[in-house]
Amino acid sequence: MSENRALQRANILANHILRSPPLPSSLSLAREVCLQYSPPELNESYGFDVKEMRRLLDGHNTEDRDWLYGLMMQSNLFNRKERGGKIFVSPDYNQTMEQQREITMKRIWYLLEKGVYRGWLTGSGPEAELKKLALLEVCGIYDHSLSIKLGVHFFLWGNAVKFFGTKRHHEKWLKNTEDYIVKGCFAMTELGHGSNVRGIETVTTYDPRTGEFVINTPCESAQKYWIGGAAKHATHTIVFSQLNINGTNQGVHAFIAQIRDEDGTICPNIRVADCGHKIGLNGVDNGRIWFDNLRIPRENLLNSVADVSPDGEYVSAIKDPDQRFGAFMAPLTSGRVTIASSAIYSAKVGLAIALRYSLSRRAFSLTANGPEVLLLDYPSHQRRLLPLLAKTYAMSFAANDLKMIYVKRTPETNKAIHVVSSGLKAVLTWHNMHTLQECREAVGGQGVKTENLVGQLKGEFDVQTTFEGDNNVLMQQVSKALFAEYVSCKKRNKPFRGLGLEHMNSSRPVLPTQLSSSTLRCSQFQKNVFCLRERDLLERFTSEVAQLQGRGESRESSFLVNHELAEDLGKAFTEKAILQTILDAEAKLPAGSSKDVLGLVRSMYALISIEEDPSFLRYGYLSRDNVGDVRREVSKLCGEVRPHALALVTSFGIPDAFLGPIAFNWVEANAWSSV
Amino acid sequence: MASHSQVLEEEKSSVRILTLNRPKQLNALSFQMISRLLQLFLAYEEDPSVKLVILKGQGRAFCAGGDVSAVVRDIGQGNWRLGAKFFADEYMLNYVMATYTKPQVSILNGIVMGGGAGVSVHGPFRIATENTVFAMPETVLGLFPDVGASYFLSRLPGFFGEYVCLTGARLDGADMLACGLATHYLPSTRLTALEAELCRVDSSDPTLVSAILDACTQNPHLKQQSAYHRLDVIDRCFSGRTVEEIIAALEREASDDWISTTIRALKKASPASLKISLRSIREGRLQGVGQCLSREYRMVCHVLKGDISKDFVEGCRAILIDKDKNPKWEPWRLEEMKDRMVEQYFKRVEEEEDLKLPARKNLPALAMAKL
Repeated sequence: MSENRALQRANILANHILRSPPLPSSLSLAREVCLQYSPPELNESYGFDVKEMRRLLDGHNTEDRDWLYGLMMQSNLFNRKERGGKIFVSPDYNQTMEQQREITMKRIWYLLEKGVYRGWLTGSGPEAELKKLALLEVCGIYDHSLSIKLGVHFFLWGNAVKFFGTKRHHEKWLKNTEDYIVKGCFAMTELGHGSNVRGIETVTTYDPRTGEFVINTPCESAQKYWIGGAAKHATHTIVFSQLNINGTNQGVHAFIAQIRDEDGTICPNIRVADCGHKIGLNGVDNGRIWFDNLRIPRENLLNSVADVSPDGEYVSAIKDPDQRFGAFMAPLTSGRVTIASSAIYSAKVGLAIALRYSLSRRAFSLTANGPEVLLLDYPSHQRRLLPLLAKTYAMSFAANDLKMIYVKRTPETNKAIHVVSSGLKAVLTWHNMHTLQECREAVGGQGVKTENLVGQLKGEFDVQTTFEGDNNVLMQQVSKALFAEYVSCKKRNKPFRGLGLEHMNSSRPVLPTQLSSSTLRCSQFQKNVFCLRERDLLERFTSEVAQLQGRGESRESSFLVNHELAEDLGKAFTEKAILQTILDAEAKLPAGSSKDVLGLVRSMYALISIEEDPSFLRYGYLSRDNVGDVRREVSKLCGEVRPHALALVTSFGIPDAFLGPIAFNWVEANAWSSV
Repeated sequence: MASHSQVLEEEKSSVRILTLNRPKQLNALSFQMISRLLQLFLAYEEDPSVKLVILKGQGRAFCAGGDVSAVVRDIGQGNWRLGAKFFADEYMLNYVMATYTKPQVSILNGIVMGGGAGVSVHGPFRIATENTVFAMPETVLGLFPDVGASYFLSRLPGFFGEYVCLTGARLDGADMLACGLATHYLPSTRLTALEAELCRVDSSDPTLVSAILDACTQNPHLKQQSAYHRLDVIDRCFSGRTVEEIIAALEREASDDWISTTIRALKKASPASLKISLRSIREGRLQGVGQCLSREYRMVCHVLKGDISKDFVEGCRAILIDKDKNPKWEPWRLEEMKDRMVEQYFKRVEEEEDLKLPARKNLPALAMAKL
C-alpha cells in the first residue's frame, strides 16, 4: 500500500517535470507552480445587459444611489482601506462600542453637510419618498448601524411628528429634524412590552391647573427599552404612553418630550441607562428611559387623531379605541417597508461576495493530477447558492413593489400595505439570515473575518427578524387578516377583491399528474400551484377556526390552537405575492436575453419554494413523484443559471468597494507585501 | 515611414524609449500615432527582451491631446464613424496601457492635456517636472474628459477629480504630485540622468523601478494659488449631486479670485458637456477601467453623431478653427439640458457596436484591481 503511494508520488513529480515547458528566463519558478488569482471577469461572460438589469433591480434613483456611494468612498470617515490594489470602505467592527457610536454620528454629520437628507421630511410626494428610500438603502449597504440611526431619527421620530402631529408640530420640528438641530428618538418598546404596544404601562395624566401632561414610569417593566439614540445622542423623544384622563384610560397616545439639552446633559425628571453591548449594530446607542413625573406642555401631545382641551377634556373624531389605535399606527408601516428592502440588499452583499469567491476559488481535483475545480462548478455548491440568488431576485422585485404601493398609499390601500408589508418583512428578513449563514459557510474560513463582511452581517442584521414586529407575530397577523377577508366575503356573498385573492373567485386549479420539465417551468403552472396552496390553506384555516368557534371557543383562542396552519398560510400568501412581482417584472421586459434569464430565475424561485415547503406533500397538492420531478428540475436549473452567476450578482449594482476583499484578489490581499 | 516618424523608437538595452514627435502640433495624437503606439506596446509585451517602456514628448509638450481637427473635418463631411474609429483605437491603447504587464514610465516634461493624460496616467509611473502643465479641457470644447478619465479622475482625493474634470483647471507638476496624477517629481535638468539609470534596471519588477524613481524624486512646494490648497472648498462644493448644485454651492462661498475664476470656467463650458462629464465621473468611480472606456465610447459616439447636442463641432470651431472663443452652445442653459437628454448619451448608439476591448492575460495584481 505504502509502496503504491510512493510510486504514485514519484509519478506525479515526474509528470510535473516532464510536462512543464522549459521556463522562460523572465519567470521565476515559484510563480509558475503557485496558485494564481484569476478575476472571474476574465473567464465569465455577461449573457445579458447588466446595467439594464441593475436599473430594474434597484428600481429607482440609480444616479442618486451612485452619488451617495461616491460620497462615502471619497471621505476618510468611512474607513477606507486598500486590499490587493483595490479600495474598500466598510466600518471597523473591531472598534469599541463607544467608538462605533461616535464614528456613526460623525458619518451622519458628514452626509448632512453634503445635503443627503435634504427633503427627507420637508419634501413630499412619491418622488421625494423614493429618493429618500434609495439613499437610506445605500447607507444600509455601507453599515446597518448608520441606516438604523438615520431610520430612528427620520422614519420613527420624524415621521411620528409628521403623521401623528399637526401643523404646530410640523412647523416646530420638521425642518429642525432635517437639519439635525434636534436629534430624535422613539420610545415605544418597554421592558415588559414589545410587539404588544397596547399593553405598555407608561402612564400620562393631564394637569389642567398648569396645562401640562405628566408622564410617569410606574414600574420597572415600564422602563422604555432598546430606544435607539437614547443612550447617547438624542435630545428629544416620542413617548408612547397610556393616556389617563379623569380616571378613564383613553389608550395609547404619543407625546414629545425633551430628554437632553443642547449640551447633551440629561434633563430633570429623566433617567437614562445604556442597553449595553450587542451582537451587532453597536454603532447605535440603544438606551433605556425612565420618566419621573415628567411635565410637558399640552401642545406636545401629537394630536392628529385625538386631543385634550386646555381644561382637560378628551376629544377624538374616532370613537372606537380599536380603530383609533389602528389609525394611529398605520403610518408606522414605513419601518417594515424599509426593513424588507434593506434585508434584501444585505442578502445581495452576501451573495455577491460568496458567488464571486466561488468563481475564483478552487478546491480538490477530480483526477489525480487534474486541475482543482472551481467551487461554483460543483453541483452541490450551485445548489447551495443559486436558489438563494433566485430568491433574492424575486424578493428584490417584491420589495420594490411594496415601496411603490407604500409611496402611492391612500386610505383605501392601508390594509393591503399592512398585510403585504407584514408578510414581506418577515419572509425577507428570514431569507437574509439564511442567505448570510449559507454564504458564510460557502466562503469557508474567510467568512469569519469581519473585513469579509458575510459573517459580521449576520450579527448586524439579526435583529431585523424582531424589531418593528416579531416575524412570527407578523405572520400570524397576515393569516388573521386573510381570515377576516375570507369571512367577510363569504358572509356578504361578495367576490374577493384585493390582496391577490381574486383567484379564489374562479374554480380550484387542477394540476397535471405528470410534471414534465416544460410544465414545471411554465408560469401558469407555477401560479396555479401557489394559488392552490394559498386557497386550500385559507379554506382549511377558516374551517378549523369556525369549527372551534362552533364549539364555543373564542376566535382568538381558535387562532392560537391553529398556529401551524396560520404559519403555513402566511408563508403561502407571501410567497405567492413574491412570485407575482417577479412575473410582473419579467412581463414588462421586451423579448431578449434579460427576459430569458429572468425567466430561469423565476422558475428557480418557484420550484425551490415548492421543494422547501412540506405543505405540498402534507396536504397532497403534489405527489411524491411530483416533488421528485421538482427536485430534479431545480438541479437542472442550477446548471443553467450557473453561466449567468457573475452577471446576476454584478447586476446587484453594489460597488466593489462595498464588498469584502475576498470578492476580489484574495491572494494579493493576503500577500506578505500587504502585511 | 513618414507616419512612423511621428513616434520615435529608441532601444537601450532592455528599455524602449518612445518619443511623441509632432512638436509643431504639441504632439497631438494623430490616428497614425495611436495605431503605432498600440502596435509597439502590444509587440513589447510579447518580446521578452523588453522590460520597461519610457514614453516622452519632443519639444515643449508631452502631448496636448488627441488630434481632433481631423475628426471635426470628418464630421463636417458627414462621416462621424471615421472619428469613432479614431476614438475606439485611442481607448484601446488606453486600456492596454492600464492593464500593461510591464512598467511604463511617462515623462511629463511639458503640456499634458486630454489624450495626453490618457497615454500616461494609466501607467504606473508618471514623472512631473517644473515644466508640466496638466489639464482636461474637454468641457470647453463641447466634449467630455474621456480616455479613461472617468476612471482616474474619480479616484483622486475627495472631489478634486470633479473639479479638474468640469472646470478644465490647469495643474502644475507640484499639483499633479500632490493629488496623485503624477507619482514622482524632479527638475527637468535631471531627466537625462534618470533615463540613463532606468536603462540599466533590466527588470520588469515595479519595485525596482520604483526604487530608482523614489531615490531621485523631490517634494516641490505647492504654489500659493494652487487649487490643491482649496481642497476643503472643492470637497464642499464639487460633491454636489448636480452641476446646478455645484455652481450654487460655489456661489454661496465667500467670493475671491479663485472662486470667481472657477465659477467663470463652469459658466463658459458647454452645459451638455458639464452634465455628461459629471455623470461620467460619478459612474466611473464605481466602475473598472474597461467599463469606463466602454461607457465613454458610447458617449463619444453620441457626441460625434451630434444626435443630442452638436456642441463638439461648435466648440472646436470657436476654440481651434475660428478661434473667436465664443461658442454658441446648444442647449445654452444648464436647466435646458434635461436628465433624459443626459441619459441618451449613455445608451448604445443605434447600429454602432460597443467598444471591443482586447482580451488581456497574465495581468499583474495592480492591473487586475482595475478591472
